[in-house]
Amino acid sequence: MKPLAFILTAGVGATAIALGASDALSRLWPSDMPEQNFRVSENISRNLLTGATKSGQGREMLAQATVASPPAAPATPPAAAAGQVDETALRYFARQGDQRRLEAEIARLRALYPQWTPPANPLDIPPNQDTRLDEMWRLYSEGDYAGVRKAIADRQAAEPQWQVPADLLERLALGEARQQLVNASDLKQYDTVIRLGAQNPSMLTCGDVDVLWRVAEAFGRTDRAQRARDAYLYVLNNCPGPDERLATVQKASEVLPRAELDALLALEKTVDGKREFQQVRDDLARRSVAAGNADAKVTAPAQDLATVERLAGEQKLTSDYLLLGWYYVQRKEPARAERWFRLANEQEPSVTAAQGLALALVELDRPAEAEAFLYDYRGENEEVRAVYLAAATNLLAIVPPVAIPPEVLQRMSAEIAAARNVNGAQQLGWYADALYQYETAALWFGTALGFDPNDEPSAYGLALMRWKLGDVAGVAEMQRIWAGRSARIARVGQPEPGSRQTQQPAVAYATPTSAYPVAPTVPAEPTPLAPRTVYPVTPPSSAPVAAAPAPAQTIYPPVAMPQTFPQTPYPQGVHQPSAVLAQPNPERFAQPPQVMAVRPAPQAGGQETVVVQQAPVARPVQRTAQRARPAAREPRRAGCSTTIDASTLSPRAALDRGWCLMDVNRPVEAAAAFEVGLRSDTEEARRDAAYGQSLAYLRLGLSDEAALSAAKAPQSRGRTLELQAALLSEKATGHFEAERYTEALMALDERARIVPESIDLMVLRGYAYLNLKRFRDADQVFRAAAGTGDREAIRGIASVKAARGETGN
Amino acid sequence: MKRLSRQILLATALAFSAWTDGAAAQGTVGAADWAAYKDRFLAAEGRIVDDANGDISHSEGQGYGMLLAYLADSRADFDRIWAFTRAELLLRDDGLVMWKWDPAATPHVTDTNNASDGDLLIAYALTLAGEAWSRRDLTAAAVSLGRAIMRSNVRTVGGRLVLMPAATGFDAKDRPDGPVINLSYWVFEAFPALAQLLPEHQWAKLSNDGLDLLEQTLFGKSGLPPDWTSLKEDLLPARGFAPEFGYNALRIPLYLVRAGNRDAELLGAFSSGITGPDGALKLVDIPSGAQKAALSDPGYRAIPAALACVVGKTPLPDDLKTFQPTQYYPSTLHLLTLSFLRSRYPDCL
Repeated sequence: MKPLAFILTAGVGATAIALGASDALSRLWPSDMPEQNFRVSENISRNLLTGATKSGQGREMLAQATVASPPAAPATPPAAAAGQVDETALRYFARQGDQRRLEAEIARLRALYPQWTPPANPLDIPPNQDTRLDEMWRLYSEGDYAGVRKAIADRQAAEPQWQVPADLLERLALGEARQQLVNASDLKQYDTVIRLGAQNPSMLTCGDVDVLWRVAEAFGRTDRAQRARDAYLYVLNNCPGPDERLATVQKASEVLPRAELDALLALEKTVDGKREFQQVRDDLARRSVAAGNADAKVTAPAQDLATVERLAGEQKLTSDYLLLGWYYVQRKEPARAERWFRLANEQEPSVTAAQGLALALVELDRPAEAEAFLYDYRGENEEVRAVYLAAATNLLAIVPPVAIPPEVLQRMSAEIAAARNVNGAQQLGWYADALYQYETAALWFGTALGFDPNDEPSAYGLALMRWKLGDVAGVAEMQRIWAGRSARIARVGQPEPGSRQTQQPAVAYATPTSAYPVAPTVPAEPTPLAPRTVYPVTPPSSAPVAAAPAPAQTIYPPVAMPQTFPQTPYPQGVHQPSAVLAQPNPERFAQPPQVMAVRPAPQAGGQETVVVQQAPVARPVQRTAQRARPAAREPRRAGCSTTIDASTLSPRAALDRGWCLMDVNRPVEAAAAFEVGLRSDTEEARRDAAYGQSLAYLRLGLSDEAALSAAKAPQSRGRTLELQAALLSEKATGHFEAERYTEALMALDERARIVPESIDLMVLRGYAYLNLKRFRDADQVFRAAAGTGDREAIRGIASVKAARGETGN
Repeated sequence: MKRLSRQILLATALAFSAWTDGAAAQGTVGAADWAAYKDRFLAAEGRIVDDANGDISHSEGQGYGMLLAYLADSRADFDRIWAFTRAELLLRDDGLVMWKWDPAATPHVTDTNNASDGDLLIAYALTLAGEAWSRRDLTAAAVSLGRAIMRSNVRTVGGRLVLMPAATGFDAKDRPDGPVINLSYWVFEAFPALAQLLPEHQWAKLSNDGLDLLEQTLFGKSGLPPDWTSLKEDLLPARGFAPEFGYNALRIPLYLVRAGNRDAELLGAFSSGITGPDGALKLVDIPSGAQKAALSDPGYRAIPAALACVVGKTPLPDDLKTFQPTQYYPSTLHLLTLSFLRSRYPDCL
């Protein structure tokens, strides 16, 4: 690796610094800083923290950084010139066999002292006899900076003559600042991140790209997109690792607006005919199509659509199929949508795919197929149920009425009754009417009115059926109730001037733009498609669903009719065939709907205040004594087969329900139930709820949400480790699937520090190495895993061989 | 009560000019006491563990830990506690300290708000240590934190300078009884030290206005202040909290005497108000004046005992003269009390 000073002074990204700013910069550093070191730092600062100085904004940034607070000055000046290079750390790492840190240290010293040459074999270096200093380096290498601080102070007290090695102090300060920066970044304290970066410019090196990323993100999240862009550009211009380059653009794509991102993509290299950022470009196209899903008014550029279609063809990912399906179904291109949803359903049947396909089919005027396709999924969630009901309603609304097999009619009736769906019930009424089953039709209109007593079209249908059945008193009663509110109900039974006969209602509702029929007509002859004996419509009273809410007789009586009436006239299109219902709600369908449904609402600004307020309050109260030990959890309740709303339950009941739902693998609802459980009054129960919710989100693959949940209540060490490990597995798998292998490995490393790596994750690690063309590492880990007889691992060894053969290694 | 107010002001004005040889004298926490304290409450990574609250840590504990380490003249432990505080809690964009750290949560900080008593204690300890040990880094940190406190945590309410309990959550816009304050967050001894460090800010006014507020909140039959006070209209116990002289406010008399207050009338009132049977420290329901609890932990009992010493020269009971760690909070108060007596009233020990 080239010394950083060289790279910087060679100046790919170096720009002139505004006069005056250099003075400010020097105040950031103690004047006795080694010259070389200072120059490095200054250059990095110029690049990163001043941003594009041509606009002059850099000055402001630096000034802010300077005002913030003076830096912690090392108590002793660091070693000055080369020749006195402090190799203590190097020696320590060499003797520990810590190859990674050894290399990092060599790189660091080279950057700092370009004329210095590392020892040919660091292991030949005679051992350091200073065991107390060794101990400090050990603590340092374990990241126990507080421990190093203590050890230094202890030794200074015991040996007043002892001088802390400057190298140790400097690196310790840097390590602490890094820790602080990472913590601040994790807690979204972006100003703090930038302040720390400004105070510790020597932390901003290619040796620690993660810190560079965090600083860049901090700029981006605080509306300083240009500075963020410059920081990412710095990495691309200076840090050579291909994985880091790709990861940099990937990270930037989550932070930067597209225009700024393009500046990064412009630095793309083509290696072996392959564009290194292709994957990011692909993801951007996907994102653009997804943005079109989120907002029906946003059209994805044709180029992006073409890219995603190409990717779908090449990579055959269900997620791409769904992305396209949802995009097209919202753009009123149901035929295209159908194609993608069908592919999705064939590859990986899911509620989402079924729902999308049904929507497309409804749009294509093929509601029978939609109904048939969706029937098995209707209970999955409310949204799917709504689409199912829309399909069923549309099927009923077809003019002239189509023949619907009895079993289908029966199950549709049952669903409509169970859902108390006004439109569906009304449409069953019209369907029955079209089949001359006036009594049944009257029952369904009555049922619809029971669901919504103010529904004029249903009232009209009922009045009409009574008239057809010769129930003069019944018609008069309807006319009395609706007097002044519905002209057409008032005119039921009155001959329309000029009309030969009464009108066929089915025709009326099928042509919603036409005027309401003034009076019913009796068609000259029955529709051949609908002989009443062949296609009976099951009335609601015999609907096979136990939960059918209202038997017909309780709906019928006039008591169910409204006593107060809305003032507004009924719109003309009221009983328009309900195809409108079938339109996807763009907001909900932007992502796979079942995921969106459970995602917690974005935190409102006020929310923090609430939490905050309680915290210091609760604290002193608990000081008294140890918490009372909460009673052990009650045995889980037997059932959770119902779909009640958890928010109506007590926290305790919701908690039990949450566990029950987890047992039956309904994590979406379980997460909601645990949310209620979080309001429990005992710490134990809240912990339980947070733990459960975290597991539920993990099961849904929502690791971010899972992490949030885990933090909602303190957990025991065992549980924390379990959750952390699960989260990290999830993270690793997610990164791997997104082909972010370096980050997948980082997650795996982090996980391996807390729990032993399982065989399947070892295999994942192997493939991550393999994808990064780290064949030796891949081979090693596959072999270790294969030792247990794992088939995947054995296959991995073969894959490594094959890949090596291909690339000639 | 007007007369009393003036006396308090006079007493603290005196203390203000002589903060360096106040109660915060190094070596007044004995080596053995500190060793016992840290063995129990200081975890290796440098955090003070609140063992009665699920082993969490908080900015208040870190501040107390730094102050005690300074009083015990233990630079190593001070550095350890400070290193943890800086890396894990001193993260807020506004330069204040996040208050709550939970070992079992990820991320460990479970509430990013601050608590101003913690901020004040940490700034105070940094000021003392920076001065005593000639440590520029500590002094610089004290300057930053002191400025942040004044900038983000102190407001002018009705002409008074007021220390809010936290940067957010207690103002009039946040709650119906807001602004709400906690008078036990005024660590009076810290103000003179910070005034010397940052003379451009009104630390003396903040201190005096706190004393003025304290005088006006000696409600009810007991004449004791509540933990939480609403500044909305009249000064009243804040509605969202139990109206009691409780675990928060019990620190107030200790802070007063440590800051050099020797007002016999005020301290005498506290002494008779909080001293319970067998020297226990009474927690009192403000409206009724009834006793809510009698705390017998030595750390709590040390406070009325110290008042008896200051007001009536009564020596401490023998069992309070030695330190045995019990729980984080009372043990901390115990060491602060012993340190004060050792430097000011050695005859009582």
